[in-house]
Amino acid sequence: MSRLPPTPGERIDRSRTISFTFDGATVTALEGDTIGSALHASGRRTLSRSFKYHRRRGLFCCAGQCPNCLVAVDGAPGVRACVEPVREGMAVEHLNAWPSLGFDVMRATDLFGGPFTPPGFYYKTFIRPRRLWPLYEKVLRHAAGLGVLPSSQDERQWRTEYRRRHADLLVVGGGAAGLHAAIAAAGLGADVVLVDEGPEPGGRLLAEGALEQARSLAAQARAAGVEILSRASALGHYDGMVPVWQQDTLHQVRARRQLFATGTIEQPLVFAGNDLPGVMLADGARRLAAVYAVAPGKRAVLATTSDRGLAAAASLAAAGVQIVAVADLRERLSHDLREQPSAAAEPLLSAGAEILSGHTIVAASGRRAVSGAVLAPLGGGPERRFACDLVLVSGGQAPASSLPLQSGARAEYSERDGNFSLGTLPDGVHAAGELSGAGDGSGEAIALSGTLEGLRAAQALGFADAQTASLIEEHARALEQSRSAEPPVAVPPAVSGAAHGKCFACLCEDVTSKDIKLSTAEGYDSIELAKRYTTVTMGPCQGRMCQLASVRLMAGETAQSPESVGLTTARPPWTAVPMGALAGRPFEPAKRSPIHSRHRALGAAVMWAGDWRRPYHYGDPDAEVRSVHEAGGLIDVSSLGKLLVRGPAAGAFLDLMYPNRFSDLASGRVRYGVLVSDAGRITDDGTVCRLDEESFYVTTTSSGAGAVEQWFSWWLADWRMDAHLTDVTQALGAVNLAGPRAREVLASLTDLDCGPDAFKYLDARRAAVAGVACLILRIGFVGELGYEIHFPAAHGEHLWDALIEAGAQVGIRPFGLEPQRVLRLQKMHLIVGQDTDSESDPYAAAMPWIVKLDKDESFIGRWALEHLREREPQARLVGFEMAGARVPTEGAVVVLDGRTPAGQVTSARYSHKLGKVIGLAWVPAECAHDGAALTVSDAGATMAATVVTQPFYDPAGAALRS
Amino acid sequence: MSAPGTGHLEFLAVNGAGADGDRTPLARSPMEAQARAAGARFAVREGWNVAVDYGEAAAEREAIAAAAGWSDCSHLGKLELQCASEEVAAILARTWAGAAGEHDQGAASERVPALTLAFATRAAGAWWCPLTPGRVLAICPSARTAALRERLHAAAAQAQRPASVTEVTTLYAALTLAGPAAREIFARFCALDLRASSTPLYGLRPGSVARTPGLVLREGEERFLMLFGWALGEYMWTVVEDAGRHLGARAVGADALASLQGGAEEEVGANA
Amino acid sequence: MSFVLTCPNCGPREVTDFGFGGELSSRPRTRPSLRELGAYNYFRRNVAGVQREWWYHRSGCRAWFYAERDTRTNDVLWTALPGQEPDGAAPAGAAT
Repeated sequence: MSRLPPTPGERIDRSRTISFTFDGATVTALEGDTIGSALHASGRRTLSRSFKYHRRRGLFCCAGQCPNCLVAVDGAPGVRACVEPVREGMAVEHLNAWPSLGFDVMRATDLFGGPFTPPGFYYKTFIRPRRLWPLYEKVLRHAAGLGVLPSSQDERQWRTEYRRRHADLLVVGGGAAGLHAAIAAAGLGADVVLVDEGPEPGGRLLAEGALEQARSLAAQARAAGVEILSRASALGHYDGMVPVWQQDTLHQVRARRQLFATGTIEQPLVFAGNDLPGVMLADGARRLAAVYAVAPGKRAVLATTSDRGLAAAASLAAAGVQIVAVADLRERLSHDLREQPSAAAEPLLSAGAEILSGHTIVAASGRRAVSGAVLAPLGGGPERRFACDLVLVSGGQAPASSLPLQSGARAEYSERDGNFSLGTLPDGVHAAGELSGAGDGSGEAIALSGTLEGLRAAQALGFADAQTASLIEEHARALEQSRSAEPPVAVPPAVSGAAHGKCFACLCEDVTSKDIKLSTAEGYDSIELAKRYTTVTMGPCQGRMCQLASVRLMAGETAQSPESVGLTTARPPWTAVPMGALAGRPFEPAKRSPIHSRHRALGAAVMWAGDWRRPYHYGDPDAEVRSVHEAGGLIDVSSLGKLLVRGPAAGAFLDLMYPNRFSDLASGRVRYGVLVSDAGRITDDGTVCRLDEESFYVTTTSSGAGAVEQWFSWWLADWRMDAHLTDVTQALGAVNLAGPRAREVLASLTDLDCGPDAFKYLDARRAAVAGVACLILRIGFVGELGYEIHFPAAHGEHLWDALIEAGAQVGIRPFGLEPQRVLRLQKMHLIVGQDTDSESDPYAAAMPWIVKLDKDESFIGRWALEHLREREPQARLVGFEMAGARVPTEGAVVVLDGRTPAGQVTSARYSHKLGKVIGLAWVPAECAHDGAALTVSDAGATMAATVVTQPFYDPAGAALRS
Repeated sequence: MSAPGTGHLEFLAVNGAGADGDRTPLARSPMEAQARAAGARFAVREGWNVAVDYGEAAAEREAIAAAAGWSDCSHLGKLELQCASEEVAAILARTWAGAAGEHDQGAASERVPALTLAFATRAAGAWWCPLTPGRVLAICPSARTAALRERLHAAAAQAQRPASVTEVTTLYAALTLAGPAAREIFARFCALDLRASSTPLYGLRPGSVARTPGLVLREGEERFLMLFGWALGEYMWTVVEDAGRHLGARAVGADALASLQGGAEEEVGANA
Repeated sequence: MSFVLTCPNCGPREVTDFGFGGELSSRPRTRPSLRELGAYNYFRRNVAGVQREWWYHRSGCRAWFYAERDTRTNDVLWTALPGQEPDGAAPAGAAT
C-alpha cells in the first residue's frame, strides 16, 4: 500500500487498518479512508464500467459528484465509492460488467458498436419484428443500467426513518461560507440546521489541508447551537421543504429561510478519451492527496483554464507528484509567463513543469488506464505528446446552483467565464460563498460572504440586535473591497480532439459530443429536447459534470450563444437517493374495531375494507350464511360511518342534504337515505335515526364516513347553519345481530321490551344490553330480523362476548363480510361504489322512491334529479340470475347481439339458499324488465342470464318485519 | 326518546348504563393488547382497566428522565361543547363556577375564561381545548367525566343560541409522551412543530400524526398528550413503539406518569 | 407540492394536513336552467393566478375555510373562516 508522507491535514488514522473485500479480493484500508481512496491506494484504477459502452472508469471527482465510482455495497447498488467510508468486513462489488470488471463482454458495444448505438438506438434498431421486443428488451436491460437490486429484501432489513425538523434557517453546505453563515445567524438566536455532504464540515478547507480551521469553525457553530448533519445530502427544494438524506434517515427540513452555500463544481473538459481511468479533476486529485494521503499518480499532465488548476497541481507537486506539462488555455499569459510568471505558476515552473499557454488537451491515451496525453494549441497546430499516468483537468468552476434554482432563482449567463451564475433569488432564499461568486473564491471573501448572508438571514427572521444593521453594512463593504482584479479565466472549447476518438460530454449516460451533434441534426435542437433524447444530464450526476458541456456543444451546433441555449429546468433529486430512503418508515393507518382481538382469536380471515381491517369470514362462509337464515348471526359493523347532527336546525339541514325527508321523522324511528351530489349522482347511503327533537344519528357506508362528514360540514360552513356535527364513527362499536332467533338473544340481555309490537321494524331504542348503554336500530341489510346495536367502543369485547355467549345456545355464530355480501345480494341491496359509480343516479339505480320532489327545499341534487326524472336512462341496475352454475367475475361484460358491450356485472355470488347464481348488473334500459334475456361475456366465455327486478329472497320483506 | 332539546346521549358514555352490580362491564383501551404484550400490569380504576405499571416502576421513571416514556391515557374523559362562538366564554364560566364548589382545588371560581385558539386552558380539573371558535374539547380524569358532563349540560342549557354537549371519551384514544426525547419521537411520525419556541407550554396542536388526524397538547416542559382516533390504537402504539424504541424510550404505566413532579398536568393527567 | 397553509384555527400546517375543496363557486339560489346547472356542476375557471378556494383541515380542527392562493407559485395570500375575510378582499361571489 502506497501512501504519501504524513501531513497535518490528512483525515486518516495510520495506526488503524480496516479490511474489506472488492469483488471478493481483500483490500486493506486505513481508518478514515473512503472505498475509493482505499482502492486507489491499493493500485486499482478501474472501479466501474460505464452505462452504455462498458468502458473502464476510475476515480474522477473524488467528491461524490460523478458516476465513475458507483459500486454495490453489501448488495445495495449505486454507492459512490469516493465518499463512502470503509467499514470492516463490507463487501464491495463492481456494477455493470459481466462476467468481470476486468473482462466485460459488453465492451463490444464500444469497440464495434459505435455506429449502431446513437441516441435512441434501441427504438430505431429493435423496432421490428415487434413480437421479438420482449427478447430484445431482456438483452438490452442486461446491457444497460447501473446495477441490479436484490429481488427480495427482508422486510425492513434496511431501516429507514423520516425525521421532521423545523428550523429558522437551513444552511446547505458546510464549507467556510456555510459555517460562517450558520455561526452568524445562530449567534443572534436563530435555530439553525447545517447540512453537509462530507464526513465532517469544512468543504474545500479539507481538500486544501486546513483541517484545523475547519474543525474550529465547526466547534464554534456547535457552541452557538447549530445542529450539524454530516454525510447528509439536500435532495431538492419543495415549496420551502428540503429533504435531506443522511444514511438511513430522511430529514424533512422545513426552515423559514434557506441559505445555500453549496460552492462550485470543477468542470471537466471534453476531449478524446476524457473518461479513461487516470483522468481526474484537478481538485479531486488534490483532495485524494490532502485528505487521504494517496498519490493520484506519479507523472501528471495538467490541462486548465484558470489559476485554480495551477494551484491544485502545485499542491500535488509539493506532495511528490511529478507535473511534466501544463496546458493553460489562457492566451494572454503566453507572452509574459517566462519573464513574469504568475504566482500560481511559479511553483510548477520551479518544479520543472513545461507550461504551454494557449494550449489545451486533445486526447488522453492508454488501454486500461492513462499512459499519455496529447496537448495542442487552441485552434490547431503541432501536437505534443507526453507520457504520464495521470491527467489533471480543470475546466472552470460551475456554481452548484440546482437547489436555489429549484427554489425559483434565475440563472444568468456570464460571458467572462462562459458560465451560468445565480441571479435574482426568491424571497426567503440566500446564497453565500463561491456559489454566489464571492470574490472568485478567495478564503477571506468566502468567510465574509458567509457571515454577511448569515446576518442578513437572521435579520430577516427578526433576530437582529442593535449592531446587526451596521455589521451587515460593514461586511458588505469589506466584501465589495475584496473583489480585486478578477484573475483571468479562459472559456474552454465545447470539444477538442474529436478526431482522436470518443469525447464524452456525459459520463453517466455515455453521451458523446457526436451524440449531441446527431440529436441536433435530427431536429432535437432545444436543450430540453436534446436532454430527453440523448439522456444527457439525466444520470446520477444530475448535470454536475455535463450540463455546461452539453449547453456549449448545443450552442456550437445551433450557432447560438450558450445564453440563448439556456439551462434545463433544475429538478429534484439533486443527489441520487435510494428509493428506500424516500419510502421511509411504513405508515399504514389501519383502523380496527374494538372487537378486533376477538376476530383474531376466532381465526378470521382479515382483509382491508377501506382503511379498516375487517373479518372476511371465519372459515366457512357458506355455513355462516346458512346460520343467519336458520338461527342467527353476529357481524361486526363498527366501521360504519356514524355522525351526530344536533341542534334546532338539524332536521332542516338533513332535508337539504338528502333527496328524501327527515324533518318529519318521529323520534325513535329510522329511515333509509341516499346521498346524491348536485349532479344527482349517488355518493353514499345509510340510515338516519332521530334520537330526540334536535338530535339525529346518521350512519354512512364504511368507506364513505370521512367524505360524508366533509360534505356535511362543508355545506354547514357555506350556509352557516346552526346545526352541530360530530363524527362519532370511532367512538362507537356496532354489531348486527340478525336471524330468526335474534329477538330472543337480545331479550335475554336487556330489560327492553323486544316484542314484535313494542320494537318494530325501523324502530330505534336506547337501552342497556349486558350492562352497556346501547342504541339499537331495528334494520335489516341482510334480509332477516335484525338489530344493529351501537355502543361505546371501550365496551366492545364485553358486549360481543355477551352476545356470542347468549347466542351460542340457539346456534348463533359470527359471520363476516363475504357471507354478508351473499345475504344482501339475495335482497338486491346495492353497495354504493360497488354496484354504483360516479354516473349512477337514483332513478337508474331503481330507487325512484327515494327522491321526494314534492319537498319545498332546493335540496342538494334536486335540479339535476328533476331533469333526470324526465329522461329515460340509457342503462338501469337490475338483478339477474344465471342459467348455469358459473359465477361471472364482477366487472364481466353484458353484451348485446352476442358481441356489442352494453353493460356490466357489478356483483355476483352463488346462493346456496336459492340454489343458483345471482347478481346485479347495469343493462340497457330496454332489457330492464323481468324475464329479459342477457348474455354475459366473461374471460372469453359467454353465458346466459335472465333479468330479475324484485329481491331474490323474501321479496315481501316478511322475515325482516317478523 | 322524546325528550326535547339535545339531551345526554348515554350510549356514548362509558358506563353510561350506570352501576349494575356484577354486570357493570370494564372499559378497555384500544391499546390494551399492546400494553399487555409489553408486560403491563393492570388495575381497575374508575371502571377502566388501566395499565398502571410494567413491573419496573423505577426503570419507568428513569426512562422518562433519561429519554422518554409513553403511556396509554385513553381512559381520560373527553367532552365536546359546540355552541355559538360568542357564548363559549359564558358557558365555560358557568361550568367552572359550578365545578369550583365541588372541587377542593378551587380552580376557576371567579375567573373569566379567556380561551385562545391553539392553546389549552386548565380549569375545574380539566383541559379546555378550543378547536374552533365554537367548538371546545374538554379532557379530564375519568373520575370527573360524569360530573363535568352534567355541569356542561346545565351550563349549555342556559345558552341563548343552540349549544350541545357530547361525550366523546371513546372517540379519541390517547398517549402521553414524556421525557427529553419526546419531541424527537414525534419528529419521526408527524410534521407538527413542537419546538419550545413554536409550541409554548399548554400549546394545542391539532394536526396530522402518523398520517391520521390527531391533536397534541404540550402539558408540561417535556410532556405531550396526543389524542387520535380510537380505532387506530393498535396502529399508533406500533408507530410510537417503533420510533421510541430506537431513541431509548419505553412504555410506562399510569403510575410512573402520575409520579412526575411539577406542573399543572398532574391533576389532569393522573387518573386520580 | 408541499407548501404550508395556515389554518385559521390551528395555525400553519403542511398542505397534506388539508383537504382541497376546489375553487369557490356559488350554488344557484333559484332553479337554474339546464345550461346553468351544467356549468355549476362541471365547469371550473381553472385560473393560472390568484383564486379563492375552499380548504378543509381534515387532520386537525375539521373546519372549512377560504384561502386565496396563486396557482402558479402556491403562494397563499391569506386564509380565513367564512365571514372573516380580510378587509379589502373582494366578497366571495365577486371572484366568479
